Amino acid sequence: MKKFKRIAIANRGEVAVRIIRACEEMGIETVLLHSEVDIKSRAYRLATKTICIGPAETAKSYLNIQANIEGALAGGAEAVHPGFGFLSENAEFAEACENAGLVFIGPSAKTIRLLGDKVHCKELAKRAGLPLIPGYEGEAQDLSSLVAEVEAIGLPVIVKAAAGGGGRGMKLIRDLKEARNLIESAQREALSAFGSPKVFLEKYLERAKHIEFQIFGDSTGQVKHFYDRECSVQRRHQKIIEEATSPSLTEELRRRMGEAAIAIAQLGNYRGAGTVEFLLQDGDFYLLEVNTRLQVEHPVTELVMGVDLVKAQILTAQGEYVFRSQQVRIPQGHSIECRIYAENPYLGGVPSTGLLGKVFWPEGPGRRYEFGFEEGDEITPFYDPMIAKVIVWDETRQRTIQKMIRVLKDSLVFGVHTNIPYLIEILGHPQFVNGTMTTRFIETNFAEPIIAPILSEIDKEIIKKAIQQSHGARLASGRSSEATSPWQTYWRGV
Amino acid sequence: MQVKIRHHGIDYCAEAQIIKNLLWVHHNGKTFSVEAQVQGRKSRKAGVVATSDKIIAPMPGRITKILVVPDEKIEKGQAVLVMEAMKMEYTLKAEIAGKIATIHGQVGEQVVLGKILAHIEATKS
Repeated sequence: MKKFKRIAIANRGEVAVRIIRACEEMGIETVLLHSEVDIKSRAYRLATKTICIGPAETAKSYLNIQANIEGALAGGAEAVHPGFGFLSENAEFAEACENAGLVFIGPSAKTIRLLGDKVHCKELAKRAGLPLIPGYEGEAQDLSSLVAEVEAIGLPVIVKAAAGGGGRGMKLIRDLKEARNLIESAQREALSAFGSPKVFLEKYLERAKHIEFQIFGDSTGQVKHFYDRECSVQRRHQKIIEEATSPSLTEELRRRMGEAAIAIAQLGNYRGAGTVEFLLQDGDFYLLEVNTRLQVEHPVTELVMGVDLVKAQILTAQGEYVFRSQQVRIPQGHSIECRIYAENPYLGGVPSTGLLGKVFWPEGPGRRYEFGFEEGDEITPFYDPMIAKVIVWDETRQRTIQKMIRVLKDSLVFGVHTNIPYLIEILGHPQFVNGTMTTRFIETNFAEPIIAPILSEIDKEIIKKAIQQSHGARLASGRSSEATSPWQTYWRGV
Repeated sequence: MQVKIRHHGIDYCAEAQIIKNLLWVHHNGKTFSVEAQVQGRKSRKAGVVATSDKIIAPMPGRITKILVVPDEKIEKGQAVLVMEAMKMEYTLKAEIAGKIATIHGQVGEQVVLGKILAHIEATKS
């Protein structure tokens, strides 16, 4: 058993802050390994020590294994927490850490290779008799072979990055004529996001729900699950709203899926936090992938299960996390997470970057905010547009939805546009409210940009008064920028 | 800053802030922004660019692929080029049918918001 004195964080934004907070509470110092542009961020200000590992470009900083290892060693760290995204599911990085005498906080390199690579994971699942979606996971990666496989599987087909996650390098093929372009595009995104252009193909389920199980392997090798989450609200395969537990599972399904999740984790000798993702359609479930890392949406599980997954990860890496037999693990109440993206919801989600103005998150019971940036920080175009997460808990799902809507309305972000108005509309949609949404919910109901609100007389008077109060300023056009922005018409062509 | 107004005898309170040339307001569960400028500076005309015959960068980012060549005939809705921003790819499509007149930019180039990336010569109808 070894207590860490200092942990390096190979990540940025809100998750870096989440890890720093856990370390602070455990009496562990932190070293933030950051890029040149990420010095205006909360993680930079909160970390015990900071080390710049390279320029903004991810390939030269956050995805650069050597730079991260050197930074962690120079910073005097004994362990490395990779967060999620970037190098978190990279077996070479886990191995490089161990070789350099650093503890990688996550499963072993071997487990990552076995379960994290989607192609290997499927082979393993096939042998274990777990249900899989029809698809192609072969080595042939040339365009004509892949297009032929798309034809053989039958449309619609989804093309995915073999080393990926988080929606990058994923494309949906509905028309055979588009197959070549979409496969090429997925390969480029995969290469830029994960360092490997390898892709695989899968039949696209038209009315499936995304259900996942939080699994955990303790220091003694026991594997358990901390129940399920539903993340069916996705746009371009990127999750937007997640909740725990899923409103779609019967007790029988929950038991069977939980057992399947544990079975595959055990096959991979799982240690630490991980997620087994499934698609559920018409009462049948299929294994989607295993994410060998902490998940963005881990807070909803923490709130309903009464666990701290980041601390559990660190304790497991220290060799001292053991499940207690008397621990009663029954989910309590309901929790929802909304991802706050810096984007303009009135222009179809085009990224919004710039200087952050005032930011305010309304405190209250059962409300949790994970955010990486504050007033005066810069939202740059180099990274993922997620700037914060809002997580709420209440006794029932209906009350949790109501709470989330109220909290989002009272939350304030100036300087960049956010998807908050979009989230509020989704949360109020009947399909979301009654829990019947599928992974096509967004493309079916929210394909068009939402309509910018019309300014009321009261709003106009507030604007007039605000201008008076700020002396020298005056209105350029007197109209809402959402309504008159020159960029609105630009978006139409996208 | 806090902004208080009285409208038809009822008091309202809002939060507001000017950042660069935008006034941001949060009131009654909504955030909106309007263009505001410090006096003395020349006002920028909004919405003067007709976009239909141009492909314009909708955000700052990098050109990852150019799918057409000058003089190529294109259809309405055809993909013209691909940009990457914040690790996501965005395909820019033609709003009109016509012929590619010029392309401004090359693969790998970092472009600013609003840059004209291609001109399309409309098909005469």
